[in-house]
Amino acid sequence: MLKGHLDMIVLAALSAGPAHGYAVIVEIRRRSRGRFDLPEGTIYPALHRLEQSGLLASKWVISESGRRRRIYALTTRGETALGERRAVWQQFAEGIGGLLRAKPCKKPA
Amino acid sequence: MQEARLISEYTELLTRELSFDRSLSRGVQQEVEDHLREAVAADPSGQGPDAERRAIANFGDPHVIVSEFATLSLAKQTTRAGVITVLMIVAVFAAMKTRVAWYAATQWPIRDDWTAISRTIGIIDYYTSLSSVFIGIAACAYICSRRTPIAFCPAYHSHLRRWLLICVAAMGALIASVISDGALTVLRLLGGNLSAASLIPVVSMAIEIVCTGIVVFWIRSALRRTATVAALMGT
Repeated sequence: MLKGHLDMIVLAALSAGPAHGYAVIVEIRRRSRGRFDLPEGTIYPALHRLEQSGLLASKWVISESGRRRRIYALTTRGETALGERRAVWQQFAEGIGGLLRAKPCKKPA
Repeated sequence: MQEARLISEYTELLTRELSFDRSLSRGVQQEVEDHLREAVAADPSGQGPDAERRAIANFGDPHVIVSEFATLSLAKQTTRAGVITVLMIVAVFAAMKTRVAWYAATQWPIRDDWTAISRTIGIIDYYTSLSSVFIGIAACAYICSRRTPIAFCPAYHSHLRRWLLICVAAMGALIASVISDGALTVLRLLGGNLSAASLIPVVSMAIEIVCTGIVVFWIRSALRRTATVAALMGT
């Protein structure tokens, strides 16, 4: 189930600001309070896919440790897409919440 | 230096499996290496081989990651190949129309005994060039008709095979069109006086040949990459 929403999760994690892959994973864990513990490698194809779709932009920098590091950031299209997905998700969550909260009707005798 | 060896082995495995796309494999190697070293540095138990193994285990199955990257790489290349094919076919069509307009404007002569054969070749040229335009557009529409799946799967492989078949048909029609264009140009050049004005048909033919070469190159690359990725994924 989580995999179907991976793009939205990655976009949401990057809404805090530009970050590299490992920082995105840390942010996902932090914001989900450890509930979303994905295999870390799965976010890289998602990051590349989102970049190909124009929702993210990336640039290579040199980290403090001297390694080359790729930093991803939301583009304007990415911010718009995140807003749209957030609205759809909230509607879905409210709908499901309403269904699950409703008390079952008594069966007719 | 066991730590460095474990990380290198893992990233080299990814690089090897993604070797069909060199720029992607180089970028992925650097990204994954950076990720794994960050994970090892953040491991509370220290930076020993166990931390290294944990980081690699948390990263996930390399074959799953390669499968997702391979699908992305193929999707990117096939879209590019589709767009380039259509653009090159349009360029060939424009070069052909320019040459025909030039013949009309300069009233370029053709020998009477070659009129019949040039008419036959002209008909072949007309239908093959039109076919290449329509089949090329169909190929582009077909590849855009399906959303790229997250990982390479038999259904996507079948979709790509059908797309490649349409591309090969467009390429075949384009080659036939350019050959008939070439034959018509030779007939025209032999029938008239060679002068500086001959450069227009010669240059337009050269443009057609170069454009066709580009289409062949891209479709051949897409065929090879699809075959490589399918073999890698065992579909």
